[in-house]
Amino acid sequence: MACQKFRMALLLWEFIYVITAFNLAYPSTPWRFKLFCMPPNTTYDFLLPAGISKNTSNLDGYYEPLLEAKFNSSGTYYSKLTSKITFHCCIWSEENENCSVQADNIEGKAFVSTVNSLVFQQIGANWNIQCWMKEDLESLICYIEPLFKNSFKNYDLKVHLLYVLPEVLEESPLVPQKGNFQLVQCNCSAHKCECHVSVPAAKLNCTLSMYLKITSGRVIFQSPLMSVQLITIVKPDPPLGLHMEITDSGGLNISWSSSTLVPFQLQYQVKYSENSTSRREADEIVSATSLLVDGVLPGSSYEVQVRSKRLDGPGIWSDWSTPVIFTTQDVIYFPPKILTSVGSNVSFNCIYKNENKIVSSKKIVWWMNLAEKIPESQYNIMGDHVSKVTLPSLNATRLRGKFTYDAVYCCNENECHHRYAELYVVDVNINIICETDGYLTKMTCRWSTNAIQSLAGSTLQLMYHRSSLYCSDAPSIHSTSEPKDCHLQRDGFYECIFQPIFLLSGYTMWIRINHSLGILDSPPTCVVPDSMVKPLPPLSVKAEITAKVGLLKISWKKPIFPENNLQFQIRYGLNGKEIQWKMYEVYDAKSKSVSLPVPDLCAVYAAQVRCKRLDGLGYWSNWSTPAYTVVMDVKVPTRGPEFWRIIHEDSTKKERNVTLLWKPLMKNDSLCHVRRYVVKHYTAGNGTWSEDVGNHTKFTFQWTEQTHSVTVLAINSIGASFANFNLTLSWPMSKVNIVQSLNAYPLNSSCVILSWMLSLSDYNLIYFILEWKILNENNEIKWRRIPSSVTRYYIHDHFIPIEKYQFSLYPIFMEGVGKPKIINGFTQDDIEKHQTDAGLYVIVPIIISSLTLLLGALLILHQRMKKLFWDDVPNPKNCSWAQGLNFQKPETFEHLFIKHTESVTFGPLLLEPETISEDISVDTPWENKDEKVQTALVPLLLTTADLEKGSICINDQCNSASFSEAESTKMTCEGEGRRQSSVKYATLLCNSKSSATDDEQGLINSSVSKCFSSKNPPTKDSLSTSPWEIETQAFFMLSDQHPNIISPHLTFSEELDKLLNPEGNFSEEHNDEKSVYYLGVTSMKKESSVFLTDESGVLCPFPAHCLFTDIRILQDSCSHLVENNFNLGTSGQKTFVSYMPQFQTCSIETQKIVENKMCDLTV
Amino acid sequence: MRCGFLCRFLWLWPYLFYADAAPIQKVQDDTKTLIKTIVTRINDIAHTRSVSSKQRVTGLDFIPGLQPVLSLSKMDQTLAIYQQILTSLPSGNVLQISNDLENLRDLLHLLASSNSCPFPRTRSLKTLEGLDDVLEASLYSTEVVVLSRLQGSLQDMLQQLDFSTGC
Repeated sequence: MACQKFRMALLLWEFIYVITAFNLAYPSTPWRFKLFCMPPNTTYDFLLPAGISKNTSNLDGYYEPLLEAKFNSSGTYYSKLTSKITFHCCIWSEENENCSVQADNIEGKAFVSTVNSLVFQQIGANWNIQCWMKEDLESLICYIEPLFKNSFKNYDLKVHLLYVLPEVLEESPLVPQKGNFQLVQCNCSAHKCECHVSVPAAKLNCTLSMYLKITSGRVIFQSPLMSVQLITIVKPDPPLGLHMEITDSGGLNISWSSSTLVPFQLQYQVKYSENSTSRREADEIVSATSLLVDGVLPGSSYEVQVRSKRLDGPGIWSDWSTPVIFTTQDVIYFPPKILTSVGSNVSFNCIYKNENKIVSSKKIVWWMNLAEKIPESQYNIMGDHVSKVTLPSLNATRLRGKFTYDAVYCCNENECHHRYAELYVVDVNINIICETDGYLTKMTCRWSTNAIQSLAGSTLQLMYHRSSLYCSDAPSIHSTSEPKDCHLQRDGFYECIFQPIFLLSGYTMWIRINHSLGILDSPPTCVVPDSMVKPLPPLSVKAEITAKVGLLKISWKKPIFPENNLQFQIRYGLNGKEIQWKMYEVYDAKSKSVSLPVPDLCAVYAAQVRCKRLDGLGYWSNWSTPAYTVVMDVKVPTRGPEFWRIIHEDSTKKERNVTLLWKPLMKNDSLCHVRRYVVKHYTAGNGTWSEDVGNHTKFTFQWTEQTHSVTVLAINSIGASFANFNLTLSWPMSKVNIVQSLNAYPLNSSCVILSWMLSLSDYNLIYFILEWKILNENNEIKWRRIPSSVTRYYIHDHFIPIEKYQFSLYPIFMEGVGKPKIINGFTQDDIEKHQTDAGLYVIVPIIISSLTLLLGALLILHQRMKKLFWDDVPNPKNCSWAQGLNFQKPETFEHLFIKHTESVTFGPLLLEPETISEDISVDTPWENKDEKVQTALVPLLLTTADLEKGSICINDQCNSASFSEAESTKMTCEGEGRRQSSVKYATLLCNSKSSATDDEQGLINSSVSKCFSSKNPPTKDSLSTSPWEIETQAFFMLSDQHPNIISPHLTFSEELDKLLNPEGNFSEEHNDEKSVYYLGVTSMKKESSVFLTDESGVLCPFPAHCLFTDIRILQDSCSHLVENNFNLGTSGQKTFVSYMPQFQTCSIETQKIVENKMCDLTV
Repeated sequence: MRCGFLCRFLWLWPYLFYADAAPIQKVQDDTKTLIKTIVTRINDIAHTRSVSSKQRVTGLDFIPGLQPVLSLSKMDQTLAIYQQILTSLPSGNVLQISNDLENLRDLLHLLASSNSCPFPRTRSLKTLEGLDDVLEASLYSTEVVVLSRLQGSLQDMLQQLDFSTGC
């Protein structure tokens, strides 16, 4: 009995022991603890050094070196051990000062006793151990580190972690069997070993059982069995993304990002310090991922660190995050940037620190873009240092170069900090246009981003909300909205497609602008797809010209959708490259066709139709495919063709064949295609009959009876023409003449006017037939039907001027064709007049233009000669013949030539010597007395026809190659055979006495003027053959030193003979006796010469318009005139040097007289 | 004075009436137009046109048949069933019809409300018995029959709306 009681007591004891053992042997191990170990059979009664407190908190301090010294000796002890020995260890943590010692564990013979940890600290080998779960929740990490670093040789330190993780969470971890433990080899480095245990994430809430076995040489340190709930030792990673910013309210917002891996909420510890004028430190624990710090000051720096830990239940603090420093500026704007839409109101706050002193808010002023001061009425004082400005009803920000914002400055009176706040005002009025397709299954909405292109970095999104039916009067942005994918098109528009659609639902849409500064929404717009329909174009569009009615009929079919009533728009026009459309609108929804009048029934018309809802909602459809009319007969021809007849009369056979001619009907008359023509006859004898002509336009029949009426009918597919022309051929009527006169007046080659006059007649005149043809040609007769009321008619045709035309006017009576009036050709008077007029029109412009050209040429030559005169005046020093001469006061003209010439030579004035020497040839004069005066000798200056003696005459028949002397007159004549000689001159006698008699003058006058007879004008050829004609004219004026031989004929001739003597035998005596006065005149016909007067020393113009027909030289007053010195030389080939005319003194008076005389002659 | 006020009121009465009636008229018009549109849509689906109306298809009892007189609420219930079946059909072209039915039901509710006889909106129906099996086995038959019967029902509703728009 007692035995049974003992057994019962023993069992009870065992039970209590087991319960106790389990509770004590597997404590919930803290994540960080110390492992104290000592050899077996060691008494625990270590004495602590006197005076040392047992407070474990001093372990790491003063007490530690002491222990280390102790263990240095212990290490020697461990190394000397020769047999394997197991040290018992206890776990010590800050939470529990007593150590739990497991004497013989694991194998089930556990013995646990609690010993003060200080005992182990003094005598054993100790380790620091940390175990935690990583944030990824997949690995358990344990760090084992000897407490005293010199205790063990690292090379022989081996650490193993043995653990058991129950498979099921509810599985009881009562007594893990030895074989259940899994072994993990830990990695040991210098003074630390690291163990990694992979743990499935799903077993985070399980309790892990483990113990450590540390082997160093022959010593084994074995930790007690430990148990730990994994979730309680999760150590999160330090928070990331630590960020600080000034809030809109002026605070400092410290924010960070939270871990997303841990399955529990975290708490955070924020450590920050403010370094400004005064230092401020704080340490706060928050559960949110941000912390707001008030009272931020400008010019301060803030250093912040954050760490995290499980919020509910035990956990491990993460490491501190990397410190972040944030420095506030001297000017703090809050908010620093604002994004808003047009028309809104915004406010900025500012704290301004200037030179280490915060500016009073009362002194703060605000500027916009440094250009415009914001009115003080918009300021608000929010505190001693905080100023606020409100900007109402904002306009869109204008781009200033690359700057897309307005810069708002907070200034200290007249001093602004360079920092500014940015204000982005965006015009978000984006128009969204929607269109529903014709099948009512798809709605396409388009919108453009042009309005908000300035906002870089923004993304746009169409948001919409669908209401069940219709739109509200004031669409608003709904909270439950959806985004819609839109695609940018080439035209810059975004396109969003809704398919399928709710036809009658209201789609409220707006554009959401997402930007880093905020979100903006455009004003919402609401559309009902049903009211945005663009229908399909009408179907089966046809166009035709209705037969017999003659209207353009356009028909169509309504498209299948929409089911609403539709209106239609029709456009039609003549088909061509560019159709001129005409519009027609149909508002009757049930209409399916329309008939429209068109001018041309035989043309091809194009027609298109489109539709739209009758209530005006939606859009016009596209135009339908064009339909074209087909040209076909619409009605019977409006009339028969106009026709005429040609009668071929065969007198031998006494037959008259009549050929009817007509022009094919045009489409407008034939409506539209004439199939054939029918000639209808009527005679008194044979009655009525018809003949089918087919498509021909000519028909011949025999006219046998007195009267024969014919009609030509046009027939198309509809029928025969009703209105036709009749023609009655009547023999008696062909003699009735009512046309009195007929005149034809040609206007031009394409138009002729015909007019006629009629006489009274009793017959009924219907119309006229006007017939015309080229006379003597029967190939073509043209005719025209003219109303009877007309008396004048314009024929437009191509008339050939050289042809003669015959015009016939036939009066057509009811009774028959009357007698025609025939004229051949045009009315003459008018032709001549017309021709005269035409000639006048042609000639007058030619004359005017010729005169203009002539005048121009004269002016040019005049200028040129004037220049040559002055450029070529010889220098006496350089001119051999002129040496020694006094050009200023020569006594006589001959004096100029005495010294250097033995013979008088002359040449054309102002011409190149070479040319002159080649051109001039003087033949033996006076050979043929009967010859007429050569025209080439004298220029065209004389008009009077007188071939009396003493005259130098010009005869166009003077073609001989000799100078001739006519009776007593010595004449020079340059023959045609001597075309090379081209010296032209006239001789004038100049009396040395100024008081020459009138007779003398008259003689001169007559001798000169009469010589150049108009009856014998110089031929054009003779003039033109003289090369000098244009260049120059030599005009000799011989001084009359022998008044007695005033007979100009003889004297002149003789002197001239001598002058022209090619041998040049001019004796000095002759020269002494005669003064040859040269009047240098160049191009008498075309140029005006000049005189150089002695007194004035200027050139006097020699009037070109004066003719020399009646010149009297006043020798007294004019001692010397201009001379031409022609150095002719001895032969035509001889080169001579020409000299310029010497201008001698001549009084102005003399000049004037000469001029007047010369001018008078021309009048 | 009173006479003048009465005359003025009578003069304004047609306008007041019109102002009230215009939306109702629009709703009625839209209802009819939408019904016509759905009918045309069904007509436009090629394979429904060639189905013979004489041949009766069995085994599709869950699809509502033709009912001579329907109230607005009954119409809504019928359309809800059709809508559920159409939504179950994988064919793409019936999706638009399903949306149209949704709009049509909304219109019926609006009509009922305007007639002072509102009815509660038919809640989402329970899954029709055997619908999935039928759809899996005879999709074509189901689609053809449901569209055909829906077309008939809609035409009946259209006639009924023409005659009376009462509850």
